[in-house]
Amino acid sequence: MEIWITVAKLLGAGLAIGLGAIGPGIGIGILGMGAMNALGRNPEARGAIMTNMILGIAFAEAVAIYALVIAILLIFVA
Amino acid sequence: MTEKRRRTGGLLKIMVLVIALFAMIIVSFIGSEVGSGIIGLRPISFLNVETPKYNPAPERPFHKIPVTNTMITAWISILLLGGVFFVGTRNMKLVPSGLQNFLELIVEAAANFIEDPAGEKHGRWFFPVCTTIFLFVVANAWVSLIPGFETILVNGEPLLRNANTDLNIPAALAVVSFCFVEYWGFKAKGISYLKTFFHFGPLWQAIKLIFSGNIKAGAGGLLNGLVAVFAGLLEILSHLIRMMSFTFRLFGNMTAGMILVMIMLFLVPWVIPAVFYGMEAFFGFVQAMIFSGLTLGFACAAVMEEE
Repeated sequence: MEIWITVAKLLGAGLAIGLGAIGPGIGIGILGMGAMNALGRNPEARGAIMTNMILGIAFAEAVAIYALVIAILLIFVA
Repeated sequence: MTEKRRRTGGLLKIMVLVIALFAMIIVSFIGSEVGSGIIGLRPISFLNVETPKYNPAPERPFHKIPVTNTMITAWISILLLGGVFFVGTRNMKLVPSGLQNFLELIVEAAANFIEDPAGEKHGRWFFPVCTTIFLFVVANAWVSLIPGFETILVNGEPLLRNANTDLNIPAALAVVSFCFVEYWGFKAKGISYLKTFFHFGPLWQAIKLIFSGNIKAGAGGLLNGLVAVFAGLLEILSHLIRMMSFTFRLFGNMTAGMILVMIMLFLVPWVIPAVFYGMEAFFGFVQAMIFSGLTLGFACAAVMEEE
């Protein structure tokens, strides 16, 4: 019985971070695409595009970080 | 001729450096726990690193005194910031130089960053809190990147640990940010700030219209009124959830960074972790900017006049 709990924990943690990283990955890809498009159209606005892109990426990344927190909780605390 | 020789000499130097770097990486991988496990023997035993272990809760180095190691780090970064700013501004000159110049650069950059979206009047309100949050978070993140930071052991526990990897400190900052946003909202709009949360006006008017006999207009208004009430209740929820999202964003990023550096140190003890240290320095800065920038953004939304 004990081993199945461990198995479920590890599997759950892996699935949590693995599935949770899909959405943010797509989101960051779209953000990068948008930034590159904007840079191609308007190379002078490099600074503003860069700052806003990093802010947006941090927002998208935060979702993956929530999944990571869940995974950490599952492994170390639960 | 000499030109060419010099150029090839430069190229040779770079090649030697690259080869030495690769050799160091390979040697350190072989020497690490993983590499020696694959080979089956331990040729370079001094590079062996213990299996990294991560504690979600901060440790207490002095068992009897309830002071955690993250608290000690937070005090260190507070003292560091206070000391640097005290020394830099002790005898201020009209034409700044040295440290004062550097501090003025930081403060001016922060002031521009804040007054750009908030305007001058509200920017003056937001400036102290947002800048303090930024400086505190970035100091916590960068103090913990000093080599040897987590290696000082007291009673078998590390004496220092990155303060942002303790859930309590991001949570405390998030509560401070939440309280200040609500305070600024009340300060800017007075008691009518509550309308953001309890927006009964349209519903009330629709009911009045129905009772005064204008049923057709009242029924349309009733739906809009209910939607407004519901949106207000959602706003309460979003203000509360914001705190959790603030907390976990900072905590998760910093913890993930710590674990990443730990695991890279375990896999390849030389050279490669330096790259991740640089990345951590960048991420600490970005997370600090995001924490203060989001506080600023929500504060701007709270004080904004609705038409």
